[in-house]
Amino acid sequence: MLFLIEYDRAKGKVVELSRFSESERQAANSARLNLELELNRRGVEHEVVLLEAEDEAALRRTHRRYFEDLLELAS
Amino acid sequence: MTNVSKTQIDRLGDRLKKREITETDLIMLDEFRHSFYDAYEFVISAIKNELGLTPTGRPAKSTSSISEKLQRESIRLTQVQDIAGCRLIVPGILDQERVVGVLAGLFQNAAIIDRRANPSHGYRAVHVIVTRGEKLVEIQVRTSYQHVWAELSEKLSDVFDPTIKYGGGNKSLRALLAQWSGVMQKEEDVERTLAGVQDQMAELLSQTSLSGADEANLSRLEAEIVTQEKERLERRTDNLAAMREAIEDFSKLVHAGGPDAVSH
Repeated sequence: MLFLIEYDRAKGKVVELSRFSESERQAANSARLNLELELNRRGVEHEVVLLEAEDEAALRRTHRRYFEDLLELAS
Repeated sequence: MTNVSKTQIDRLGDRLKKREITETDLIMLDEFRHSFYDAYEFVISAIKNELGLTPTGRPAKSTSSISEKLQRESIRLTQVQDIAGCRLIVPGILDQERVVGVLAGLFQNAAIIDRRANPSHGYRAVHVIVTRGEKLVEIQVRTSYQHVWAELSEKLSDVFDPTIKYGGGNKSLRALLAQWSGVMQKEEDVERTLAGVQDQMAELLSQTSLSGADEANLSRLEAEIVTQEKERLERRTDNLAAMREAIEDFSKLVHAGGPDAVSH
């Protein structure tokens, strides 16, 4: 599965998480670029990243920082 | 990407470094990142098929991370070696060594960067850099404990100061990260020692007959493993509790108006 993440670093929070199937790879790539273009137009400095994982649980294990706060990470 | 020269890509890198990014730049960067896709796909497929592991892949490094890397390091965009990559989390140090060994065999041109031997501002992991054609793909192999440290360091950088994970920012936070990194190293040493004890046991068990002294030795080694494992688990729980306490203390300080290093 593919996951498009818009992350507000300063707040340490995911703004939006979109999910795409394997067959929607091209749509996921387009969505990533369009989101970057839109944020750039609005002057918003959020991290935009496309990740590919077996499922959402795997994503949340390997990229905990997007989903957990500091205390959760240290537990 | 065939019409864009290396010079044009590096000029794009200069603009990213200055954070003067136009829509045309974002589209060019997107094409550049996309040019890594075949190499990325090759690496992911090989890991899945040959190791039976499913890494979390990141086909393209984020624009903000690229900009920051170019600002931080004196390299050009065409020299960035983690445009495409993936991450594997394994239980412990021995699993890490086994997986890295298999990856080195699988990708024979791979460069192994052992951040356990040379931690980067406390960051411990092993990175395997695979070259496919002219493209590089970075495989991060972390133990679960190294992963906790790395994610904490990233998050502290996110919410307090982006320089923390590169050795900057508040002194007390840096000291905490260095201390926790040292704790990890000690635990990795304990794990290796335990593996040595297990090897001794396996050697004894492989003998056709055991003397009384061997039997006693076996019992002693078995008891040592049980004790060490129990203590290791307790230390991990205590260390994580100490980390949470330190984070809470630091957060309280920040909310009360100090320390001065917090940039957001």
